[in-house]
Amino acid sequence: MGELRIALQSLKMSILAKLQYRADSFVATLAVFLREATGIIVIYLALMKFDCINEWNVDEMLFLFSLLFITYSIIVVLFADLRDFSCMIREGRFDRLMVRPRGLLFQLISNNADVIAACGHGMLGLVLFVVSAGRVGIHWDFLTVIYYITTVVGGVLIQGGMFIIFSSLSFYFVETNSIRDIFYWNMRRFAGYPISIYNKLIQVIMIYVVPFAFVNYFPAQYLLRKPDMEEYPEIYLYIAPVVGIVIYMAAYVFWRISVKNYKSTGN
Amino acid sequence: MIEVKNVKKYYKVAKREKGLSASLKHLFSRKYDLKRAVDDISFSIKEGEIVGFIGPNGAGKSTTIKMLSGILYPDEGEVVIDGFIPYKQRKTFVKNIGVVFGQKSQLNWDLPLIESFELLKYIYKIPQQKYDKNLQKFTELLDMQGFLNQPVRQLSLGQRMRGDIVAALLHSPKIVFFDEPTMGLDVVAKEKIREFVKYMNEMENTTMIFTTHDMQDIEKVCTRLIIIDEGRKIYDGSVEQIKNQYAALKSIEILLENGKKEKYTFDVNKTPMNEVMERLFSKFDIRDISICEPEIDGIIRDIYEGGIRVS
Repeated sequence: MGELRIALQSLKMSILAKLQYRADSFVATLAVFLREATGIIVIYLALMKFDCINEWNVDEMLFLFSLLFITYSIIVVLFADLRDFSCMIREGRFDRLMVRPRGLLFQLISNNADVIAACGHGMLGLVLFVVSAGRVGIHWDFLTVIYYITTVVGGVLIQGGMFIIFSSLSFYFVETNSIRDIFYWNMRRFAGYPISIYNKLIQVIMIYVVPFAFVNYFPAQYLLRKPDMEEYPEIYLYIAPVVGIVIYMAAYVFWRISVKNYKSTGN
Repeated sequence: MIEVKNVKKYYKVAKREKGLSASLKHLFSRKYDLKRAVDDISFSIKEGEIVGFIGPNGAGKSTTIKMLSGILYPDEGEVVIDGFIPYKQRKTFVKNIGVVFGQKSQLNWDLPLIESFELLKYIYKIPQQKYDKNLQKFTELLDMQGFLNQPVRQLSLGQRMRGDIVAALLHSPKIVFFDEPTMGLDVVAKEKIREFVKYMNEMENTTMIFTTHDMQDIEKVCTRLIIIDEGRKIYDGSVEQIKNQYAALKSIEILLENGKKEKYTFDVNKTPMNEVMERLFSKFDIRDISICEPEIDGIIRDIYEGGIRVS
């Protein structure tokens, strides 16, 4: 219960802080939305030239994208401090968390929410979902709704776990953003398309190393059943939440080991 | 209350040489220098003491405070505070301490103080009654009613620092660490903070540890002084003692009948006061005379610079 009160008060503070600068926050949210939407529009226009890629049509690909944006909007509410973790270490703000009687990861997760990014990415995710979900022929019943929700939770855990791992590296190296850029942001770009279009190496990376395939590709396959699923074991359709939990737990263990290495900054 | 035994903390500093080839070599094999940030420090502090912790920049003050507050592991030695080992039992230990980092605020920049306080109430599980009581008492003592509901970004440094002090004390900690709490404040704000700290110590018997560069803080607030330099403890005792023991230097200013001013400095252990006076009176026509006690600032400066040996 106490944890929930802390999380709610923190979220309230994040929102109130942004409401201090209403106009700026509104413009910033719009800017995030437009920046991301422009990328999608460019892809959309390019894809109109083809009927489909590996038998995925444009709407089905938008559905893939929608899952990326929806999970990311939750990520930045929960994992904003971990996204900006190397900065936090450098400025010595991590010391403050250490002198409070709560778990460090809990504090990092509950502490700050990037409300603007959450709204920008979230709005785009919803728009893409609404546009695509109706056209791709998903029959929504109780089971698919539950499946969809667990998929989103799994996707958040997978990416959140990745953020925790990248943050843990900050205890060994001063600068870790470039590692994250390569492994998260570059791989995320691949994840906008069905992974069956890539060569084997990238597929292996997307499934087993940086498992974005479980954030959107396999869940979309469960709902859409495209023929290219034959290449992969059928069990992959169902285990996204399990992959999420495993990665998150592994990340947690790695964090616990790494945090012992913490050397504060001087002042 | 606080037991520190033979604590050491080292930092590895990568050796870098100039030149491109050296930089390339550096990528593959690194050589490290061991910097001794804290080099075998021991002391113990009793409940209710106010201890000033001073030393030049880079002497190891902050590193020591960080080991005492559970942020850093010592490489060697042991710290036991109130039965806890801070860096091993962090979560339970820190319930009993408060930390004020003078240069790192824990208040939310965009929001009124009260929002940050509310968050701390949940973090420390402070019962509502105690929270209300403490908040009311602190805001009265520190004269804060006027700005409790203003966003922190609009507060002056002195007001913000008072906010930070309240934030660190809301949960009634037994021990409070102040890391340069008066840095950059004006005389009035400093005085207010010192009075408050003294009051809290007297009323609640709170143990307090101060790091500061301001000797006034030490003289007015602290009952005990620990000086460290280059990671070693070089003095541990009362403020009075250091004045008496290491600086029997007094200076005399005399105003002569002809309006001229003269200033002499002497060591009372070598030349007793009456001898000095006799000599002065026989030599000059004196209108006024004033004797200046040595200033702690000067003494400390001499100690840092190695002018006075402390054994």
